[in-house]
Amino acid sequence: MQPPDTRHSLIARLQNPANEMAWAEFVAAYEPFLSHLVRRHGAASQHVPDVTQQVLAAIAHSVERWRDDGSPASFRRWMTRVARNVAIKYLAREWREVTGQGGSDFCNLLMNVPDADAEQSQSYEFELILWAAEKVRAEFRESSWKAFWGTVIEGRPVQALAEELNVTPGSIYMSRSRIMARIRAEVRELND
Amino acid sequence: MRPDRRDLIGASLVELQPIQCDRDLLLRSLEETLSERQEEQLTEHLSECYACQRELERLAADQAEWSKVSETLRRAAQSSDSFDASRRTPPHDETEPRLGEHETDFAVDFLEPSREAKALGRFGDIEILGVIGRGAMGIVLKGFQAELNRPVAVKVLAPHLASSGAARQRFAREARATAAIVHPHVMPILSVHSSGRLPYLVMPYVGCESLQHYLDRNGPLAPIEVVRIGVQAARGLAAAHAQGLVHRDVKPANILMEKGGGRVMLTDFGLARAADDASLTRTGVIAGTPQYMSPEQSRGEAIDARSDLFSLGSVLYALCAGRPPFRAETCYGVLRRITDTEPRPLREVNPEVPLWLEAVIGRLHAKDPAARFATASETADLFEQCLAHMQQPALFSLPACAAQLAKSRQPTVDNTSSEQRSHPSNMSVPLRKRRWFAAIAALWLVGALAASLFAWSFFGSRTDSVRIGTMPNRSPPVLPKSESSATQWDGAAIQIDDALRTSDVLHAKVEELWPAAPLPAPGETEALVPSAPNLLFNSEQESTK
Ligand SMILES: [Zn+2]
Repeated sequence: MQPPDTRHSLIARLQNPANEMAWAEFVAAYEPFLSHLVRRHGAASQHVPDVTQQVLAAIAHSVERWRDDGSPASFRRWMTRVARNVAIKYLAREWREVTGQGGSDFCNLLMNVPDADAEQSQSYEFELILWAAEKVRAEFRESSWKAFWGTVIEGRPVQALAEELNVTPGSIYMSRSRIMARIRAEVRELND
Repeated sequence: MRPDRRDLIGASLVELQPIQCDRDLLLRSLEETLSERQEEQLTEHLSECYACQRELERLAADQAEWSKVSETLRRAAQSSDSFDASRRTPPHDETEPRLGEHETDFAVDFLEPSREAKALGRFGDIEILGVIGRGAMGIVLKGFQAELNRPVAVKVLAPHLASSGAARQRFAREARATAAIVHPHVMPILSVHSSGRLPYLVMPYVGCESLQHYLDRNGPLAPIEVVRIGVQAARGLAAAHAQGLVHRDVKPANILMEKGGGRVMLTDFGLARAADDASLTRTGVIAGTPQYMSPEQSRGEAIDARSDLFSLGSVLYALCAGRPPFRAETCYGVLRRITDTEPRPLREVNPEVPLWLEAVIGRLHAKDPAARFATASETADLFEQCLAHMQQPALFSLPACAAQLAKSRQPTVDNTSSEQRSHPSNMSVPLRKRRWFAAIAALWLVGALAASLFAWSFFGSRTDSVRIGTMPNRSPPVLPKSESSATQWDGAAIQIDDALRTSDVLHAKVEELWPAAPLPAPGETEALVPSAPNLLFNSEQESTK
């Protein structure tokens, strides 16, 4: 639904440090997703906002130096990697505080997780869908979500869910398509 | 007076007939722009029609997207840690403080010790006796001003709003403007204190309840009561408009009724706007319930006094019907209904409503501000004459204007056709959607900029951090859905039970906190950086070296 170049031009404007507007736009668009990533990397929930701040700070710091390598989703992969590195740094610090030991072992452990580009972009997509689903879920009634989850994810028959939720089959079809359409819209919003 | 009624019954019988397959209807159901009636019909049709079931799914997403999403969610559900269908709230909610505790904490944090034994603490010259209620905007405390020997209600802006410069300024500005309105149908503001860390305002403590409360307890009101409330609310609005003040958040929760069904008073002028400034930044979502917004407001356009008239129409509709006129499953759906569809005719919901009243409310509900009554005082005058007619029909005839409106209402009883008129069918959906998103995005951006202005003043001295500072919109505790929709403070409404329940907690916390925790200096924005204040700058300094 986005004109194809919107995000690209945003990133270009982002690289101009004087462009506060682009920065505000970027933060508005990506902060919720980045905080989702941080959480998924295991940051304790009371620290999620702070770590997300660090991720944003790191991006702000290095975005000028980022260069498009021409491969698909280059910026997103880079951003995901930044988020991951910051999260790891944070976790290492936590580890140090909890155990009183140096964090380098722990850090190495995490760093050894394969970081192939293919996997990065796959994980980006995975997390993006997850994030969108969580977000969309909050918009809908619980019964609509159950209709979606039961029939689409668990593959149960529409009739069974209709009886369980005490609604008509028609409303199951409607709810689940609405939820799907919203998830798709959210995902597309953040994709180049 | 009767034929229209028969038409109406005829019309609704026809509509129970099965409808035809209609792709446009399916598209609009995804956008949530169908009227309730259309939605019922379509749901029914969908139960039977295989072709439409498939078509709806195709319209929602293509095959690849369906399978990608379902695969992803299935995988996430299987991996132990993350996504679970049975959980009501997203996982990160669990360890975060509930709104209640959070709000109580903040109130306690800002109280000063009191010499009064039964007081929880002191806020300026006011002894705080308890908590009346709380909402997304802040907290309402019950207090006593010893010097003036009077009970008062103190509204305190929540720290996350107080930390936004723009929200703060607006709070102060609007509160002062409201304080300048002296009118029997506007809840008076006794004083405004906007320079402290948390801005607050003081109002009289009156025994009253909000219309929302009343509606929840008693259901729809009799038409004559609705008109009586209409007169008073419109008078209150007129007084505000005369001061150049637009309320922006006229809804049943913001209209208080004196106990015993007496006087009606408007409250919370412009505070909704202050909330928008800060919360839009964070979530991109409009704070609270949008159900009473005007079309121009829900599109994020500039509004004037006539926006309040639309909202007043929605309030009166809700009082007659027992429920708001525009309802949908999601916030987004509500906004679309407000901008694109007509509410179900009032008399279909409550046959006791006279046609002229339905028509007058319909006039307030005109999508085009220019088609509404021109001013709140014109509206009040009209309602006053209508009320006279209702009380003494032999003495006062129905005002010509109302009779005229009722007359013109009759032929358009079938509101399906009027809805379709408002939907140019040649406009493609993506385009419409894009326009919509653009509006939301614009709102969002405004919020973000407001926040960045604040951030600039907060981080201003550290040049290196200014850029980082433009995004310190730390996510607030994610409000549980039910809480976030209750933006109302509920003014001086009666929620004493609640107050009693929380005051114990308060007491405990007060004793814990005071000896140990000196109040932070004014420059420290404790609300912004409570848990790990140094993380951001530590890491920054490290990486700068
Ligand atoms: Zn069909």
